[in-house]
Amino acid sequence: MHRYRFVLFRPLQLVPVLFGISVITFLLVRLIPGDPARILLGTRATPSALANIRTQYGLDEPVWLQYFYFLKNLGAGEMGRSTLYKVDVLKLITTRIEPTLALVGMGVFLALLIAVPFAALSARRQGSLVDHAVRLVSTAGLGFPSFWLGAMLIIFFAVRLEWLPVSGYGETFREKLSHLILPGLTIALSLSAVLTRTLRAAMIAGLASDVATAARARGMPESRVFWRHVVPNALVPTVNLLAVNIGWLIGGTVVVESVFAIAGLGQLMVRGIFTRDYMVVQGVTMTFALATVLINFAADIITVTLDPRIKL
Amino acid sequence: MSAHLEIRNLSVAFRDHAEERLLLDDITLELGRGEFLGLVGESGSGKSLLCRTVIGLLPSRRLHVTQGSVRLDETEILGREDCIRGRRIGMIFQNPTSHLDPVMTIGKQICEGLALHKGLGPAAARTEATQLLRQVGFPDPERSFSAYAHEFSGGMRQRAMIAIALSCDPEILIADEPTTALDVTIQAQILRLLQDLRAARGLSIILITHDLGVVAQTCDRIAVMRQGRIVEHGEKRALLAAPVHPYTQQLIASHPSLSHAGTEPVRHKHDRSPVFEITDLDVTFPQGGGLLMKRRGFRALKAVSLKIWPGETLGVVGESGSGKSTLARTILGLNPASAGRILFEGHDLTATSAQLRRAGLDRLRTGAAMVFQDPFNALNPRLTVGETLAEVLRHRGETPPAEIENRAGELLDMVGLDRAFAPRLPRSLSGGQCQRAGIARALAVNPRVIIADECVAALDVTIQAQIVALFRELTEKTGLTLIFIAHDLAIVRNLCERVVVMHHGEIVEDGPSARVFARPEKPYTAALIAAIPDIDPDRPINGGIPFPSQQEFAT
Repeated sequence: MHRYRFVLFRPLQLVPVLFGISVITFLLVRLIPGDPARILLGTRATPSALANIRTQYGLDEPVWLQYFYFLKNLGAGEMGRSTLYKVDVLKLITTRIEPTLALVGMGVFLALLIAVPFAALSARRQGSLVDHAVRLVSTAGLGFPSFWLGAMLIIFFAVRLEWLPVSGYGETFREKLSHLILPGLTIALSLSAVLTRTLRAAMIAGLASDVATAARARGMPESRVFWRHVVPNALVPTVNLLAVNIGWLIGGTVVVESVFAIAGLGQLMVRGIFTRDYMVVQGVTMTFALATVLINFAADIITVTLDPRIKL
Repeated sequence: MSAHLEIRNLSVAFRDHAEERLLLDDITLELGRGEFLGLVGESGSGKSLLCRTVIGLLPSRRLHVTQGSVRLDETEILGREDCIRGRRIGMIFQNPTSHLDPVMTIGKQICEGLALHKGLGPAAARTEATQLLRQVGFPDPERSFSAYAHEFSGGMRQRAMIAIALSCDPEILIADEPTTALDVTIQAQILRLLQDLRAARGLSIILITHDLGVVAQTCDRIAVMRQGRIVEHGEKRALLAAPVHPYTQQLIASHPSLSHAGTEPVRHKHDRSPVFEITDLDVTFPQGGGLLMKRRGFRALKAVSLKIWPGETLGVVGESGSGKSTLARTILGLNPASAGRILFEGHDLTATSAQLRRAGLDRLRTGAAMVFQDPFNALNPRLTVGETLAEVLRHRGETPPAEIENRAGELLDMVGLDRAFAPRLPRSLSGGQCQRAGIARALAVNPRVIIADECVAALDVTIQAQIVALFRELTEKTGLTLIFIAHDLAIVRNLCERVVVMHHGEIVEDGPSARVFARPEKPYTAALIAAIPDIDPDRPINGGIPFPSQQEFAT
């Protein structure tokens, strides 16, 4: 099992990565033009009130000292107080993270649900009408922006057909699920376009490979050759592709959550930026970065499990 | 006795729109029950296609059977191959690495066949699979059952592929170049295994190969194919002793044989200084390691010392992984040396001073050239042969621009390539022509030394013989020093006057070819020589020497 030894060592390598992320996000947020104290108190605030607020949030300290406090608080499990929501950012994030995670999960799940069968259909009948249709649709899928796609899905499935709720999240599991389908589909449609193309190419290569020829020479029926030998080999590059795209996917939630009015991290991020809520932007960015790193770590574990040749 | 497999008047054509090209032309062939048939031919002769047709796996949709019949036990199987594929006729392939599923354990791949063809349940299949693994020579079948292909060496992978083919319990086994990718000693073991399996299971075997030596030692009958036709077939002794067809005669004549006398050693004046003087050369490749883990290294060369004299033809032989290519690349400065010294005509290529080292390398680049294994990959596909040569000549700057074309023509003459080839692109040349162009390019720098790394390994035997003859002519005419790296000992025996045997990064034996091949001093050299397949049909596999207990195992 020494192939999995990297699971023990990799988290240690994450420490410098996370440190770098914290420095960059901290500095980037401070480069945003505008005065957070003035936004908090409005344009008619008195100079003394502004000064008070600045002292209270440490905004008058030198940048390096602010960063030091930021790290110290982070160690204590505090990400600073949101100037808008008046609560600790960590608390905000923990309440908002669930819808976002569920949305990404739903997106990936639906994308695989769409991509695997279509890629299989397309690859096994290469050059047929089905193949051409799949390739056309997946190319088109790449071209649609998610804010437009989301709006179209709402108009069609929620407004016209009234099958699914227009927007929001729910309370119970069933409610949440039904609220997640349209936004999940919005993410899935563009993601599955990329996935279908990669999977199709990998499956076509697999069908023509020596492994498949050898399996056929043993008298394996074509369906078994495909699902037992071609597909497992084609999944390896697909998992890597998913991992690479995960950052893009998380960024995508910012738009999708806004379109579907889901109170997740993406929406929190947008609001944080518009109100110059430094602590919120900083906290959410850190969370997104951490999520990207962790998901890539998970993808590495999956890849190693799928392909015994890979050593990390 | 009726034939087990009977092919009658079989033709296969490639059809593309209006064009139709016959790839198999009226093949008639029989395989007796329990017979070991060798199907010999060069690349493109149609021998693989014939076997693919028999099991109904034509490699392209544009190929069609135009006439003929294939009968298995007097039942027509053409068009109904689905019922016999795997179950009655099994097949193993040249490259076990690419034909084994990399993400499925060896055991599972065997069980798959057992479940499909014999309907065994998981537990029974496992027991049966373990037995099969033992039968094909896995020393620890229990453990190998749950191992993956990449955990084994090439020879063990081929054994695994044989076990997988046997899982379907076929009556006929078609082996398509099963040993071509393997070292000679391993090749001998696999051939022995096939013979043992035939005896134990009553298999009928068709062995496809380009190597007449392989069939001479293993088969009962030989069929020779050329350009889609069977030109000659018959009992092996009769066929080898009195070949009728001129092509068969040429094939037998081209076979590099150990029994033929090789080149006599030319007396060298060792009073001249050596071209290359290599002292305690070490090359270590970093392996694994990372930010937090300690780096380990793989020592590809271990304290190699060697002197190469001007005008010498030196053969470097060894099995894959013995370090022979690393040696070539390192003395050409393509690979950094980890320790030790390399002197080229007295210039230190490993000097600590960058200036001295560069001076040495400059001298090396104008004095030595390399010929590569794969002629197609080694030539720029976008440049014509003439342009490739002109590029080198221009870069050397010794030929006046007006003379370049003429000089390129002279180079083509030297390698026996018609001047009409100058405006052609590599992909329009055959393998042998392409390798000639590669040699011409090496000669363009007007080198004193040529290093040829497995430069005939990818070529057909008749072409191999031509290229070897070309090298012999060049070295005799021009006094060129030749370092000829090959895994094929017979070729080295025929071409080189001195031979160096490498094993695990060390030189185990070094001496005049005539002496080394007649009286090897080291057991390893003796084992290597014994394993060479010879076209003498009375010589048993591996020279009759019993195999050393399984040497090659998973790490």
